[in-house]
Amino acid sequence: MAGEAAPGDAATIEAGEKASQQDVERIRHQMGLDRPWPVRYVETVVHAAQGDFGKSYTGTKEPVGTIIARTLPLTALLAMLSIVVASGVGILLGTISGVYRNKAPDRLILTVSTLGVTIPTFVLAPVLVYIFAVKLNQLPVSWRVDRPEGDFFYLLLPVLILSARPAALIARLTRASMIETLQQEFIRTAIAKGVPRLRLYIRHALRNAILPVVTAIGTTFGILLTGSFIIETAFTIPGLGMRTIEAIKALDMPVVQAAVFVTGALFILINTVVDMLLPLLDPRIRESQV
Amino acid sequence: MKRILKDPLLAIGIVFLTLLFLFAIFMPTIRTGQLQPPNEPRFDAVFSPIGKPFLTPGEKGATFGTDDIGRDVLARLAQGARVSLVVGLTVQILALFFGMLMGVLGVFAPKWIRVPLLRLTDAMFAFPDILLAILLVATLSPQYLLVRLPFLKVVPDEWIGILPVVAALSITAWPSIARLVKVQVESVKDREFVVASRAAGASTPYLVVKHILPQVLPLILAVSMVEMAGTVLAESALSFIGIGVQAPNPSWGNMINNARSGDITAHLSLLMLPCILLSLTIFALNFVGDGLQSLFDPKARG
Repeated sequence: MAGEAAPGDAATIEAGEKASQQDVERIRHQMGLDRPWPVRYVETVVHAAQGDFGKSYTGTKEPVGTIIARTLPLTALLAMLSIVVASGVGILLGTISGVYRNKAPDRLILTVSTLGVTIPTFVLAPVLVYIFAVKLNQLPVSWRVDRPEGDFFYLLLPVLILSARPAALIARLTRASMIETLQQEFIRTAIAKGVPRLRLYIRHALRNAILPVVTAIGTTFGILLTGSFIIETAFTIPGLGMRTIEAIKALDMPVVQAAVFVTGALFILINTVVDMLLPLLDPRIRESQV
Repeated sequence: MKRILKDPLLAIGIVFLTLLFLFAIFMPTIRTGQLQPPNEPRFDAVFSPIGKPFLTPGEKGATFGTDDIGRDVLARLAQGARVSLVVGLTVQILALFFGMLMGVLGVFAPKWIRVPLLRLTDAMFAFPDILLAILLVATLSPQYLLVRLPFLKVVPDEWIGILPVVAALSITAWPSIARLVKVQVESVKDREFVVASRAAGASTPYLVVKHILPQVLPLILAVSMVEMAGTVLAESALSFIGIGVQAPNPSWGNMINNARSGDITAHLSLLMLPCILLSLTIFALNFVGDGLQSLFDPKARG
């Protein structure tokens, strides 16, 4: 629907700059763009539901479905690796922080996570590229067609940067949740009966504290998806994000619509999966549903 | 005042933001004979004897140097600050207006208006913000906005380019304000002074404007300050990926992108200056917003 308001429709681009008004009208008719927008909207939705997103307006007129199928796996890999790194690091740091509340490790982790939340991805990216790629000359600056070192070598820095913000958010949330849990009665009971400390923190406290964190991991996925648009542009990774930005600049609406549709659907799907995971983790939710 | 000084982060944040505003307002207008307009290359840089357009910081009176095509970095930073602050403030004012309208309607409107409005607000949360903003920026061209909303003709020419960014970010910004306003209004609406006023014959609009909104406004303003950090960030992000503020107009986002795609080692200050300024601005907005929030909310002060 948003495609309607776009300046100079596809027919103007297709016809080229020197085309006469009649030519533009003729092409517009061929492409079916002169019909009223509600008709076209319904048609687009029906076709999209059948998995047909139309063809790209630019270049070789590749079907949009093929473009998505080609670019999505890389973006999905990037996002998945990042969410794993972010959850692992975030939960670990948050737990340490919660256990050592208001002591030195907690202060340090809080400061780092505040930085992580506030420093934007696109500031972090060039700065880290400067340090690791230019100064230390250890990691690649951008994607290459032939990757002798393998994909992961090229994804290392992007994943690191992309997971910084979610990791910081998850760490803060885990900390708050741990602190709340550690103040509860059953923890005092567990301490009294002499449960070993590590076991106490992991089996008793973290298992309870982790529930709101799991919900939050679902929502941070949204940050990851949008972050991947920026990271892919910064590292020229040929994923869905970079392709979408190219499409926006070229006013290639079928691609933009499909990309936004797919990422939005993915976001909703992930959050549904997370909601379904919660009862598996928490017997209380499981029982209340029966 | 004393309470502000007690919270050092809040005080530092306020000082920084004041300086930033002064920098944004006055720096582009001060012509000390060396500050170029932000979009024009420096003549003495372009035609310097060595023939290189790039001046290092301090060279030939250019305090922060020039970029790779000889434009004064200080002037561009100031113009970028203007863009960030104008976008941030406009978006938050619009979001406050619509958010408060929606939030109040979400409590007091009859059910057939209220329920669809609340569902709409929920629906806006179900979709990643920047993604929606990207789609909207791609869709709403300045020309289209000018045709559909003729009153925008009052906007000066140099600012017309940022209209799509403002529109897109406002559309993504109002739901969180609406939700906050709704919760706050609900918590106030059954308090004694409101009930008393209603008993004395006050109408609902009068109650909302005279009694309820003044109660909740300070907190909402503090929260919208934190939200403004998000808006400034989103504007820079859009400009960074090349669909926000368009060249040759400067924004911190596209300055970072330009510096990044050039030779980083040679122009390190080109990259670092907008990065530092942007990060500090976001820090300051967060600190001030959080600080004011705990100042206004007695429970959080506890």
